[in-house]
Amino acid sequence: MARTTFIKAKTFFEDEQQETIAEVPVERIKSWEAGAKLKVVGKAVPRIDGYDKVSGTAQYTFDLTLPNMVYARVLRSKLPHATIRSIDTSHAEKLPGVLAVISQKNTPEIKWYGNSFLFDRHVRFAGDEVACIAAESESIAEKALALIKVEYQELPFVVDAGEAMKKNAPQLHSEGNIQGGKPFAYERGDVEKAFQEADAVIEETFRTQVAIHNPTEAHCSLVNWDGDKLLVYDSTQAVFNVRDGIANSLNIPASHVRVIKQYMGGAFGSKLVAGKYTVMAALLAKKIGRPVKISLDRREMNVAVGNRPDSVQQLKFAAKKDGTLLAMQHKSYGAAGAYPSGAGCSWPLRTIYQCPNVKVEEHTVYINAGPGRPMRAPGHVQGVFAMDSAIDELAEKINMDPLEFRLKNYAEKDQVFNIPYTSKRLKEAYEQGAKAIGWQRRNVIPGSSTGHHKRGIGMASQIWWGGGGPPAAANMKLNRDGSIQVLAGTQDLGTGTYTIIAQVASEVMEVPIENIQVIIGDTATTPYCPSSGGSTTAPSVTPAVRDAAEQMKQKLMDAAAAMLNKPVRDLTYSKGLVSARGDSKKLSISDIIRQLNERVLVTTGYREANPEGYMINSFGAQFAEVEVDTYTGKITVLKIVAAHDIGRVLNRLTLENQFEGGIMQGLSFALMEERIMDANTGLMTNTNLHDYKLPLITDTPQIEVIIVSETDPMISNTGVKGIGEPAIIPTAGAIANAVYNAIGVRLRELPMTPDRVLNALYA
Amino acid sequence: MNRFEYLQPKDLNQASQWLADTDKITLPIGGGSDLLGLIKHHITEPQALVNLKNIAGLSEVTFTPGQGLTIGSQVKIAEIAENQTIRKKYPVLAQAAEQVASPQLRNMGTLGGNLCQRPRCWYYRGDFDCLRKGGDLCYAVGAENKYHCIVGGGPCYIVHPSDTAVALLALDAQISIFSAGETRTIPLDDFFVLPETDVLHENILKPGEIVTAVHIPELPSKTRSAYIKFKERSAWDFAVVSVALVLQLNGKKIRNGRLAFGGVAPRPWQEAELNEGLTDLQLDEQSVDEFVSGAFGNALTLEKNEYKVVLAKNLIKNVIQELSA
Repeated sequence: MARTTFIKAKTFFEDEQQETIAEVPVERIKSWEAGAKLKVVGKAVPRIDGYDKVSGTAQYTFDLTLPNMVYARVLRSKLPHATIRSIDTSHAEKLPGVLAVISQKNTPEIKWYGNSFLFDRHVRFAGDEVACIAAESESIAEKALALIKVEYQELPFVVDAGEAMKKNAPQLHSEGNIQGGKPFAYERGDVEKAFQEADAVIEETFRTQVAIHNPTEAHCSLVNWDGDKLLVYDSTQAVFNVRDGIANSLNIPASHVRVIKQYMGGAFGSKLVAGKYTVMAALLAKKIGRPVKISLDRREMNVAVGNRPDSVQQLKFAAKKDGTLLAMQHKSYGAAGAYPSGAGCSWPLRTIYQCPNVKVEEHTVYINAGPGRPMRAPGHVQGVFAMDSAIDELAEKINMDPLEFRLKNYAEKDQVFNIPYTSKRLKEAYEQGAKAIGWQRRNVIPGSSTGHHKRGIGMASQIWWGGGGPPAAANMKLNRDGSIQVLAGTQDLGTGTYTIIAQVASEVMEVPIENIQVIIGDTATTPYCPSSGGSTTAPSVTPAVRDAAEQMKQKLMDAAAAMLNKPVRDLTYSKGLVSARGDSKKLSISDIIRQLNERVLVTTGYREANPEGYMINSFGAQFAEVEVDTYTGKITVLKIVAAHDIGRVLNRLTLENQFEGGIMQGLSFALMEERIMDANTGLMTNTNLHDYKLPLITDTPQIEVIIVSETDPMISNTGVKGIGEPAIIPTAGAIANAVYNAIGVRLRELPMTPDRVLNALYA
Repeated sequence: MNRFEYLQPKDLNQASQWLADTDKITLPIGGGSDLLGLIKHHITEPQALVNLKNIAGLSEVTFTPGQGLTIGSQVKIAEIAENQTIRKKYPVLAQAAEQVASPQLRNMGTLGGNLCQRPRCWYYRGDFDCLRKGGDLCYAVGAENKYHCIVGGGPCYIVHPSDTAVALLALDAQISIFSAGETRTIPLDDFFVLPETDVLHENILKPGEIVTAVHIPELPSKTRSAYIKFKERSAWDFAVVSVALVLQLNGKKIRNGRLAFGGVAPRPWQEAELNEGLTDLQLDEQSVDEFVSGAFGNALTLEKNEYKVVLAKNLIKNVIQELSA
């Protein structure tokens, strides 16, 4: 009998519901129950790669070198919008040390961004790629860039989404500046009727900024050809996406492209696909027959490889006096940048609170600026800030405690698909979070505390998918000495994937974690796992690892049964030893594999199907306490309590890391970071980490993480929901509501920088 | 980064001679924490750098009773922040030094470099051919100017980035400049220039001139002083607005005092009229509020920096409260 079968699998990746036919195991392994006494999983196991990282022996893509390696740099358009009349690379080519120059002149048309090309004659933002140079050193390549002469035909440009939507705005694409030609629309019930029947209606506009991913490690690749086979080391969230993207661009078989990613210094959604720079490096390497390394600098990372689109959200909400939420209307627009992306942000509003009448209309707009990419909980971070601010405003209008208002409108099932959740413990999150922050301490009258340091408390809610799903596979190799290798085509972005895979293998096989090696992120050796995005890595991959381990255990038992001449049901497996009932003889892993005359036993495990007819979502609430200095407008976040339902915790340490990172990024979005475009020139003004402000350790609040769930056994054999994105979603909304509670003035635009606070206070 | 010669002078004379060579772009380097950034971003492309760090006599802090304090131009910012004499006698300066950048930068950066650092205006530092780089436009006008100046601007609207300069101005410091074998000492106030005088430079230094030291007079006992720097994040950030105050109290009045500001003007800023108003100022809330409300009445704000007027006023109030408590 086949071990696997094929099903129609539905999963959410970021905010997209994906349907695929996926290979899944026929037999579902019973999920570890709540209360199961696990020895390794769920424990605060230090990262298995911690020593390598701390000691500096861990090699990130950025660190790698190969013999005879050369360097590439990209020439980018300095104009926000233009067509290229001519390119003269002859002077650059003559500079000693320059090895090759590629541009639209000598490169085949390679499709990019749908209707554009790797090198397009039509450049649509300051930073768009024009040419690429390989040279003996980075500084020679840099110098040569200045020697390329490009003659541009300047075109009118627009760098603001609102302006771009106007009738006579400069057009970036033939379809017009509204992506897809029309807004996305969603409707249930009748909002107009509800507005008329309501006791209270609020209507406000909220704005959020463009934020840049700015991971620590630069976007970088190192490529090398061996004949017609291409080896690519890439700092990526998705080795298989990169492999297929490159194979497709270069028109070579995917089997000829091997993509490897071992350690990584973050991505946050900006490294989900093959980069233009990677393909350029491959083209250059082919031309000159030497390995090519390409690393973007901080300026390039800020202008050219993604961002969180901004938003202008007009919200109109209505409620009855008794606190029943009647209607939510969301009209918004946001900047995709120069190429297709998604600026929608209404997802949480459609599902999180019980609401019969909902209407959504959102525009994704092209402007002459760097293209958007998914960024840690795309849409949700900006959506929840606006929605939960408006919910607080509505609650205040009917004189109801905002938390009570949310509880009154608690959704028991998913309202878009009208199906139940596998689990939802948001009520528990509200309850425990409120207790931990001391919700009763908040100002009954916002802004009523005296002095110029005013404190306040606020909260916001979180919903996300992150259930993962098939296809995802893992191999387990068991060696004669009892040591184990686990191979999976997934990625560790710095999140702890290596460690949680080892923990699951160790739990099942009862082999010490030190004897387990985890090999991930190599398209040539590891079986397929999906991109590490959408908070799906742990929930997709760990069940496949457990499946492979359980099969391995079964294999040992089956073999031992044959050796001992006993039925399998009389055998037990414990700590690497198989024993038979009523028999003192024990067979070790070594005994079994030696008798089999094998060196390595191999199994392949698969992620099982998600349950039919259920939504898998994670939930949570964050509570913020802030202090606002009304002299300076500075907001200091004192404490964040994060109470979440995320299924089973695999590792308490990596879990807390994820929360700390997510909350700091959320705090940064709420208070500091912002891409600033100069409207007169179409250039970004703050392309470095001094002007593009990210918080530092001294800006870090006290963070308390409360997990209200024990497991979600319906999802998978490990019962895990992803946590990478939930951690950031409610932070900005909670801070905004806390700020209002502190000063009694509502800030509806992010980031809440001191100038905006002062302008609001002294208006 | 372009290639350049790295020159090691044996003394001030040689350094000065090399720096006076106008045939090639030659710049002095102390800690390099600002200069290297400028070179890397192609704001300046020197052909030679003259190292000042090893020149004898530029790295000392000396206090002489009756005369005051002398700080060599190559003294590290970290040392100024930690020096016990400075902390005790001139807390405003120690506080300003303590708030410069980050520990790593304070360990490298020198006092001379801090006073002579170039502005942080993102148009100046970015890919814009602006006035201060010899272009013909100030890009900040009608554009992204929330960090730009509210007084003293035009035709360029930078703010001066130094923290220590603001404290030193409030301390009525003097600065020594060496050139061609001679040292002259002038009030620090005369060292800095506004863009209307020279749009390419923030101070009067000419090629071959080297800042050697700063002198602070001895202060009457019971002088109080403080520096408040408002920055958007808690560390490693330049001042949005900063204020230094040095004063003597007389019961419930200020006998006299001197205020200086950072982040408001293209140079470290002080206003004689405002300082006169400190003399005999009563320390009750109404009098202080009245005094504060008169500050920066001359401000000419740009589209996005009006908040700085409110901020500067609030910081004045804050620093008076702190020193009169």
